[in-house]
Amino acid sequence: MKKKNQTKSLTMPKKMFWFSTPAVIMYTIFWIFPVFQLLRYSFTNFNGVNQNYDFIGLKNYMALLKDGTLQSVLPNTLIYTIVMVVGSNVLALVLALLLNSKIKGKGIYRTGVYLPTLFSAIVIGFIWTYVYMPGDGMIASIMNSIGLDGDKFNILANFNTALYAIIAVDIWKQVGTTMIIYLAGLQTIDTSLLEASQIDGCTGWQMIRHVKLPLISATITINVVLSVINGLKAYDYAFIMTNGGPGKSTNTLMFAIYKLAFNEQMMGKSAALSMIAFVLIITITIGMLIFMNKREVEL
Amino acid sequence: MKRNVSIQNLLIHLILIIYCIVVLAPLIIVLSGSLRHVGNNQNFLNLFTQFSLESYQVAFQRMNFWQAFLNSVMTTGGSLIIIVIIGSAAAYPISRIKSKLSRFLYYFFIAGLVIPAQMTIIPVTQMISTLNIPNTRFTPMLMFITCSLPFTTFLYTGFLKGVPVEVEEAAYIDGANLCKRFFNIVFPLLKPATVSVIITQGIWIWNDYFFPMVFVSKTKQYSLPVALLQFLGDKENPAQWTVLFAACILCALPLIILFGIFQKQFVNGVAAGAVKG
Repeated sequence: MKKKNQTKSLTMPKKMFWFSTPAVIMYTIFWIFPVFQLLRYSFTNFNGVNQNYDFIGLKNYMALLKDGTLQSVLPNTLIYTIVMVVGSNVLALVLALLLNSKIKGKGIYRTGVYLPTLFSAIVIGFIWTYVYMPGDGMIASIMNSIGLDGDKFNILANFNTALYAIIAVDIWKQVGTTMIIYLAGLQTIDTSLLEASQIDGCTGWQMIRHVKLPLISATITINVVLSVINGLKAYDYAFIMTNGGPGKSTNTLMFAIYKLAFNEQMMGKSAALSMIAFVLIITITIGMLIFMNKREVEL
Repeated sequence: MKRNVSIQNLLIHLILIIYCIVVLAPLIIVLSGSLRHVGNNQNFLNLFTQFSLESYQVAFQRMNFWQAFLNSVMTTGGSLIIIVIIGSAAAYPISRIKSKLSRFLYYFFIAGLVIPAQMTIIPVTQMISTLNIPNTRFTPMLMFITCSLPFTTFLYTGFLKGVPVEVEEAAYIDGANLCKRFFNIVFPLLKPATVSVIITQGIWIWNDYFFPMVFVSKTKQYSLPVALLQFLGDKENPAQWTVLFAACILCALPLIILFGIFQKQFVNGVAAGAVKG
């Protein structure tokens, strides 16, 4: 079979590659070419309007270091990613394991868990701004009604908590999708394997740890990689809910890139940060894939 | 033994119920708040105390709902049709021919999965102005399609491997040309992949505000999420909350209705997208 395809194939001729051209053209113009353009901009003082810009070498990169942008943006993004990956995957896995048992009304629970993923980030940003609002917001009102002081509750205005507050929102939205993927993975497990382990005297926890989890290790890899990518791309709630603040406490990579370009008209500096982000994302993703593939075998 | 199982089930029900209540509480409060008269911002925890569509009327007008809804339908629908056609076509040779070129194309497209949209936006806006592409409601479609291509191509390549080559060989003997073979015979067999692409890409395109926010300048051409973005100033003003809540519900309603009708396809589509990919 393989040999037939390597030599000249009548049914699968080379001209078939024309099918790929529309996609390749669009993808190259609007996705690949911009990345190279970014690399060029990152060495200039381009401001987005004036086309007579100068090449200024590595000054943009130095400036990012000197004014502390990198020092605040990188930890924020990494914390965001780690908390998001752990939080959404653990929660989704637990929910999927619960939903995979033989209980009535599974469909309703599944819908309940999945529903938040259907909402636009804007809608979610608005709703959670209300939830977190001090005084009249949902959490503050609940605190007031049980005798706590809800006016003091202001999680979004606090340096130490704002980042975690927006991560919680993102987890709230992402858990549904992650859970559905875990559920699909769990449903592919052959029931005869589970019966065999039951006969061998596995307890519930042993069954999960030594039978179910190893069997869905591929699904775990997919979900972890997907949420790592999502975490590194985090932007929405910093934009809608906190505007990067208070101070720089919720300034994530993507939000900083956007802000530098559109609010401060520093396209060159923004491009330099983009290049750093690009290298970071690729390194982490490839590293993750290699690490997870090794784990998969071990599990 | 049997009693153990029923206690265990009861516990599972309990955990799931508590989780659902905690997670859905904000949505329920927003729904109940949206049904109040404009300006009634007394403790929103008292659920469903009023039934009035006044807030919806105000929100409906301020968002220019029908216009925004129509813009959303056109851009999302148009993008999805093009994505499905050019994405599946791109995957066809990649999965059918085994050569260096096809392997290169495979990784070429996968590499795009990690590029965030916020990053490419500066060069793309520059390019769009140098190419003199006007800023209309259709400009974001260029980026919707491009951003969806990596995932779509990747997914179709996976699914195409499951379509037996023999089907095509039979068609080849019957004298069908490549186009006919692909669109009449292979493409219909890829329906699960197409459903998955429409669901996963449809949800993000419908909900995306970033590209329309950057590319669309006229209020009349705003899509639903961008129309909602106009309320950004109201979010800290409790007196306007009922209207804001109504606007949120209006913005989310179309997808929720679709989900209600096609629940099975949604769940299977999301799962297939990840498992096959």
